[in-house]
Amino acid sequence: MAKVTVDGIEVEVPNGATVLQACEAAGKEIPRFCYHERLSVAGNCRMCLVEVEKAPKPVASCAYPVADGMVVKTDSPVVRNARRGVMEFLLINHPLDCPICDQGGECDLQDQSVSYGMDKSRYREAKRSVKDKNIGPLIKTIMTRCIQCTRCVRFSAEVAGTSEMGGTNRGENLEIGTYVEKALTSELSGNLIDICPVGALTSRPYAFVSRPWELRKTDGIDVQDATGTNIRIDSRGPEVLRILPRINEEVNEEWMADRGRFSFDGLKRKRLDRPWLRVDGKLKPVSWPEALGAVAAKLKATPPDRIGAVAGDLVDAESAFALKALMAGLGSANLDCRQDGAAIDASRPDFYRFNTTIAGIEEADALLIIGSNPRTEAPVINARIRKRWSAGRFPIGVVGPAGVDLTYGYDHVGEGPATLRSMLAGTHRFMAVLRDAKKPMILVGRGALARPDGAAVLAAAWAIAQSCNALRDDWHGFNLLHLFGGQVAPLAMGFLPGQGGKDLGAMLSGGVDALWLLGADGIDPAAIAPGTFVIYQGHHGDRAASRADVILPGVAYTEKDGTYLNTEGRAQRSRMALHGPGEAREDWRIIRATAQGLGVSMGFDDLGQLRAAMTAAVPALAEGFTRAFCTDTTGPAGDAQALGDAPFVSAITQYHLADAIARASDVMAECARTYGPAPALAAE
Amino acid sequence: MPMLDRVARSLLLTEIVSGMALTLGQFFKPKATINYPHERSPLSARFKGEHALRRYPNGEERCIACKLCEAICPAQAITIEAEPRDDGSRRTTRYDIDMTKCIYCGMCEEACPVDAIVEGPNLEFATETREELLYDKAKLLANGDRWEAMLAARLELDAPYR
Amino acid sequence: MEAFLATPVGILALTVAQAMALLVPLLIGVAYLTWAERKILGAMQMRKGPNVVGPFGLLQPFADALKMLMKETIIPSGASRALFLMAPMITFMLAMLAWAVIPVNDGWAIADINVGILYLFAISSLGVYGIIIAGWASNSKYAFLGALRSAAQMVSYEVSMGFVIVTVLLCVGSLNLTEIVRAQSTVWFIIPLFPMFVIMFISALAETNRAPFDLPEGESELVAGFFVEYSSMSFALFFLGEYANMILMSALITILFLGGWLPPMAMEPFTWIPGPVWFILKICFCLFVFVWVRATFPRYRYDQLMRLGWKVFLPFSLVWLIITAAALKIFGWLPAVG
Repeated sequence: MAKVTVDGIEVEVPNGATVLQACEAAGKEIPRFCYHERLSVAGNCRMCLVEVEKAPKPVASCAYPVADGMVVKTDSPVVRNARRGVMEFLLINHPLDCPICDQGGECDLQDQSVSYGMDKSRYREAKRSVKDKNIGPLIKTIMTRCIQCTRCVRFSAEVAGTSEMGGTNRGENLEIGTYVEKALTSELSGNLIDICPVGALTSRPYAFVSRPWELRKTDGIDVQDATGTNIRIDSRGPEVLRILPRINEEVNEEWMADRGRFSFDGLKRKRLDRPWLRVDGKLKPVSWPEALGAVAAKLKATPPDRIGAVAGDLVDAESAFALKALMAGLGSANLDCRQDGAAIDASRPDFYRFNTTIAGIEEADALLIIGSNPRTEAPVINARIRKRWSAGRFPIGVVGPAGVDLTYGYDHVGEGPATLRSMLAGTHRFMAVLRDAKKPMILVGRGALARPDGAAVLAAAWAIAQSCNALRDDWHGFNLLHLFGGQVAPLAMGFLPGQGGKDLGAMLSGGVDALWLLGADGIDPAAIAPGTFVIYQGHHGDRAASRADVILPGVAYTEKDGTYLNTEGRAQRSRMALHGPGEAREDWRIIRATAQGLGVSMGFDDLGQLRAAMTAAVPALAEGFTRAFCTDTTGPAGDAQALGDAPFVSAITQYHLADAIARASDVMAECARTYGPAPALAAE
Repeated sequence: MPMLDRVARSLLLTEIVSGMALTLGQFFKPKATINYPHERSPLSARFKGEHALRRYPNGEERCIACKLCEAICPAQAITIEAEPRDDGSRRTTRYDIDMTKCIYCGMCEEACPVDAIVEGPNLEFATETREELLYDKAKLLANGDRWEAMLAARLELDAPYR
Repeated sequence: MEAFLATPVGILALTVAQAMALLVPLLIGVAYLTWAERKILGAMQMRKGPNVVGPFGLLQPFADALKMLMKETIIPSGASRALFLMAPMITFMLAMLAWAVIPVNDGWAIADINVGILYLFAISSLGVYGIIIAGWASNSKYAFLGALRSAAQMVSYEVSMGFVIVTVLLCVGSLNLTEIVRAQSTVWFIIPLFPMFVIMFISALAETNRAPFDLPEGESELVAGFFVEYSSMSFALFFLGEYANMILMSALITILFLGGWLPPMAMEPFTWIPGPVWFILKICFCLFVFVWVRATFPRYRYDQLMRLGWKVFLPFSLVWLIITAAALKIFGWLPAVG
């Protein structure tokens, strides 16, 4: 530890910390542009200059290591003068176009120029101008505004791992860009907008739309992948204008995936904004009482064991719990939440959770990925893996399609279950790597379970974890990576076939007469047996809605208070940012109203009571999270020997069109056109 | 003595006489009233009258949808919506001023970085219905076209003091 | 012609003609007094006053009259109908009646009676009935309070006014108005009796409810005083009556102190101008002062008004009466009584 005095305040910081960190520890604000906590130090903006005693001139605090007994001044005339000078230099080539700049109002350069800059300009010469670059449909560039802090270059190289950004030329002619004009391929590219301290990189869909002070900010949870990214939903009036990540070190640090960030315009299109009822083979708009009356009439006339319910991928825990309670009230055990048919054993939470936890990835020292492409399934988790990989000594093995760019180097150990078999036999070379590791991780993609031999894959993966000693009381190395934010909560509450209940396959193939689809839009309408009365409750008129006999318009995740479990099983609450369109209602209310029509007692009347009942029944749905280790190494049901032969494929073929909201989004459609049908499988 | 003085003043009605002398003096002075619709008092170049959105001489509208006027408006009378125009420039798709909310403080004018929204010399814009006072972009631009010569002259007069 | 005029019908016709000859110019005068008042007030407040209807706004009074006529007569539901309608007529009639004894020139009076001044005094005292009736019949607290104030005020100032008149009478020795004017052929009474003139003028302001003694209609407290409920023609009658009273008071002051129709000095060129013109000019001067005072002074408080009337003017006029009487007796200037 080193003792440093900052403006008379004595602080102790670890050896090797920078002066800037010491100043922050002392509670002093140091202006900066190029420095970013999660990126490497560049030290090229010079804004963080401070005065260090006995140093001949001000030093760049972000790049200057502390020494014991150092005395730092952050507000001396020298420092103020230095900052003013740096600011003046930065503004030499920065255009004064704040009024038309989308960063205006939340711009680091603007704020710091007010705080630390001069009040007028002495510069009378011509300003530099730089040609704008086209780097894809998500990010708009106005490169004249660039102050060359190189945050974007470091982000794409270090966090996103695509190394697509860089500088060309030198000195005054330095330009930031992609060398050859191309669209950024990273799924984390939206974060460039957040880290850019000026308005050089701005959001293209949000261009010129609003100002930060006009927005109502609501804390939410992204459900479009299973990371459980903490987001801030910025809305104005009846529409979401943008979505930004919130900092949560445990989950997403401060990053966010592009699909969650940019697909919100899908919330305005193809929405179900009123109830529909199929009359004489055609869907007709009806009122709520008519729609609920039709549902109640049908459910009353159907024997309980011929009623089924399926929960979709984006549902909140409250709605699923309410539907489960309704089904229980009707006496039906036909429930399922695995639209993809993944063979998940929900008998124990650690069979379907990301037990290592996302933050725990950084502790791991070996990783085996089975049948998953974390880059498309959970880009933020992929960034964590890359972070761990960048730190070094982190062998990664992948069982899955070859030639996939995961942004980090890995050992492609095999394509299909055959590899697992040899691993189980202990003959595979990567098994030795896993056995040598102190904290090995096995990451199983949900796609690997959505196969006929899914149960066997699950059992095999568990067995591999067990054989490399990844299941201990101080480490849990078995991880299941889910795809969407609404997939884990129904598993946790047991939204699964009960005693004698039918599963999804049985329900679809004529096992039920009335089928309630709660946001289950992943089901192929053709797969539903003819004659089944389909009640579709959801927010988008996606695939399954067209097959429905009754459509009950629910609301999307931005429009309700909901609890979501991410792939770790972390329960997080999302708040309502705005009201649903038209006559759409919160999903649990629709179910509650149906129950009333059926005379079924639910035991709750408002959200508070619902949550109380829910958390009492399923403690895992109470807000918060504690990391659990493995106390029982008994594996999930399934015979590891029953593995098939088909190679693993990624569950998500088109990243930008993976869910109903994204499929309704213009921006995502544009991205899909730009980036092609699937990540290229070019041989490396 | 003061008592005597007071009684004498009171009996001689000095205060009444001086008061009446004052009013009589005013009687002969020139009158301040002007014959309004036919005569007008001079308007300052800073007079804050009816709003107008100006254009550049080439016909391009000045407003760049920076929303500073909307932000500073203390009466929240301005509503702006913006999106990129076909040529990629930043323009408003909606620029409304609720003249019934407006308090004519001129802050919008002060905030505008491009002298687009200005308060012009027009003070006669009374309407028969309330709705007519909810100005939209077309109305404001039309005002700008109508008053442009005077608006430019006023801005030039005021420029040295800004 | 002579014979016709001797018949009762002739006498009636002559009287009507005389009355019309007096009243028509009087009413026109009232109309223009309103115009003049607004003009003078305007000028003193650096305004222009009415200037749109006709040249210099000269047609304004007629526009106002027309407006008044067009308006609806509103009778409050709780009002005493007959009295409510009678009150403005009484006020107006009394204001006109008094003019019967005013000599416009030597011998030019409709009724040159020996008790002219008493008649005048009696008529002006009756004026209070119109106001009291209006205030009571309106069944409105504002009107009622205004009427009470007005009555109290008029009664109070009549006392000191009475003493002023007695002072003049002492010097003249006649109650006949023509005689009073003739007695001033050497010197107008304003010169020897100046303090009395001032008291008379101020009392006249109070008697006619003019500023600064317009408490009966004090807007800030009583909305409009006793005629708050009146509209249209009934309001116009009050209005006309009030302004006719102003002219009457000016005429009385002219007769008592300013030498009536007499020129300032009995010499050329003053004698070229006929008596009625002098009379009208003097009235006009008095009216100008009425308005001038209004433009200058703020309204009195009611207790100040009463204090002035009872505790200042009454003793003062009484003392001055005694002084005058004593002086006349001591210096033997008492007029010979006819």
